[in-house]
Amino acid sequence: MKFINLLKKELSELINAQMIFGLVISLSLFFIMGNVMQSVTDELKEDSTHPKVNICDLDDTELTKDLISSLKESCEKVNIISVQGENYAAPMNGSDIKGYVVIPKGFTESVEKGEKSELISVNKVKSASMFSSLTGGTDGTIALINSFVTSRLAEQKGLSHDDLSTLESPVTITENTVVADKSAKISVSSVLGKITMQNMLLPIIILVLIMMTSQSLIASISNEKIDKTLETLLSTPVSRGTVITAKMLAAAIVAMINAGVMMIGFSAYSKGMTSAITSDLPGDVSVSDAIGGLTSTNDAFRQLGLSLGAFDYVLVGVQLFVTIMICLALSIILGALVNDSKSAQTMLLPIMMMVMIPWFVSMFTDVNALPTVPKLIVNAIPFTHTFTAIPNLMFGNMKEFWTGFVYQLIIFAVVMFFALKLFKSDKILTMSLNFGQKSRFRKSSKTTED
Amino acid sequence: MANVLKVKELSKQYSKVLAADKVSFEIGEGEIFALIGPNGAGKTTTIRMISTLLTPTSGDAVVAGYSIKKNPEKVRENITYLPDEAGAYKQMTGIKYLRFMAGLFVSDLDRINACVDRAKNICGLGDRLNDKIGSYSRGMIRKLLLARAVMTKPKLAILDEPTSGLDVLNAIEIRKMIRKLAEEEGMSFLLSSHNMLEIEFVSDRVGIISKGHLMVTGRTDELKERYSAPNLEEVFERVVKENEVH
Repeated sequence: MKFINLLKKELSELINAQMIFGLVISLSLFFIMGNVMQSVTDELKEDSTHPKVNICDLDDTELTKDLISSLKESCEKVNIISVQGENYAAPMNGSDIKGYVVIPKGFTESVEKGEKSELISVNKVKSASMFSSLTGGTDGTIALINSFVTSRLAEQKGLSHDDLSTLESPVTITENTVVADKSAKISVSSVLGKITMQNMLLPIIILVLIMMTSQSLIASISNEKIDKTLETLLSTPVSRGTVITAKMLAAAIVAMINAGVMMIGFSAYSKGMTSAITSDLPGDVSVSDAIGGLTSTNDAFRQLGLSLGAFDYVLVGVQLFVTIMICLALSIILGALVNDSKSAQTMLLPIMMMVMIPWFVSMFTDVNALPTVPKLIVNAIPFTHTFTAIPNLMFGNMKEFWTGFVYQLIIFAVVMFFALKLFKSDKILTMSLNFGQKSRFRKSSKTTED
Repeated sequence: MANVLKVKELSKQYSKVLAADKVSFEIGEGEIFALIGPNGAGKTTTIRMISTLLTPTSGDAVVAGYSIKKNPEKVRENITYLPDEAGAYKQMTGIKYLRFMAGLFVSDLDRINACVDRAKNICGLGDRLNDKIGSYSRGMIRKLLLARAVMTKPKLAILDEPTSGLDVLNAIEIRKMIRKLAEEEGMSFLLSSHNMLEIEFVSDRVGIISKGHLMVTGRTDELKERYSAPNLEEVFERVVKENEVH
């Protein structure tokens, strides 16, 4: 009853109007981002399935007329553009044209002579975004013109269609990727592309979860100290263990709510980003390669043993729970050091560093492949093993997974032991960290001695 | 008169500072005892040890038959503590705060309601109890906290500077309330205050503490006679100066 009373109080402090408002805003942002990404990928799909051609014919010969007729046969819409001199920007002003190809004077002459002919590609850059260059460009048009000119040249030289095909691609490459002792017919870039997309979600959830949990508990303890309610609370007939358990449980519940909302939000975002690409898109379309070869990789993943099963997800969940417990235990100690609202903000810094370092390292490199000393340093950070859990399970590095898990359990036991010892001792009331002061006891002695 | 509190040579050492040095005194049932002393004298340390917030370096105190060292949870069932400049949870309403605090002392819903009703009558905040504590003035918070401290009818209420932040009229009201609770309900009080006038009016006995030593204890009139002083303020001055000379 007393514990429930305390837990209700802690939850009512943490789950307030601001927190719910923040969650609703975050969720809305993810849904908006998901819709935006879906519109971008829809545009990519539209461009690849129904290519539009914008072309300017300055040569104006029989060959170029045939070329444009050929483009009209294979493309839904061919837009003829006129250009004055070298003012290539003029046709794009006030129109939605993102790129066009100019056939310059002398093009036909070069083709007929069997020489390399020149085309002018004009593309408009509207923003610095990654996807802005993927839609409406001139690559598709140039590929079609190349194909037309190659056919004409082949005819001139008396080559058959089969001869031409062999000359264009004299070697057929079958890409195979090996993971541990398994192999599958898939390119490495496709495998890595899908892994990156899949694993993008969890590290961000871990990051948010750890930061939110730490902030909640540090704030909960430090507010009790700053508002001078801790002494009153600890003088009631409730054990200090019960007080701290209620605080930890409330922070964990709030963290789980945050994680749940983040997962829903990110799922909506990822769905929006991949839905158009993964549905009905031909495998050889260049746009899908740009996104990372997401299509037709599920079977290959299963063959390579990269697909995670239910037990793997249970292991990831358990490890995430241990991570939150470490974070809570650390937060008790950091919260106890706070003596004003300014230092409450500073106390989050050590945890932030312990999250950011493994996050960045695991994002750019394989922690297991680092040289011994950096590897030991990175692995000494308990949160590293949470970031490497999924890659370790995917690639069958079970020794590394279990070592990391056991290490986290040991760290939790040690930190929790010190946290409880601290909370049950006088230090929870007398200890403080005063940065930049010569004598930290002198300042606090007024309250402790009186 | 049975003793509710018996403090036996209670000491507290903070690294190089001896904050309380073998402090001993007793408080009987229905008695109001006040600890007075200059800043840094050891009042709050002594009170915090009796409230089981700090562990004594040596010595012990027995509250309602329970040792603060051996049975701190039992001690906390019999006391309430109101720290100096204590705050309350700002996001809670006054009534919710009283209900929350009562729930930490008693589990039965009827008893919780009885405690809250009692606190409502004592604090006199009326409808403002439905407002968030964040909107209260310092005086209103102090009244709420005082009501909280006595609503569970503890055997010993420990009040550090009980009237700090209150205006004259409210301070008088609180002093009268403390006296009434001691006389009519037999509640014992351990007070700490800088306000000598308040101590003279409200307490049955006082203890003058300086540099961690409890120099003298006794009834206010006895001390005035012993030190040939017209009021407690001068008794305090002479005791502190005497201590400095020796």
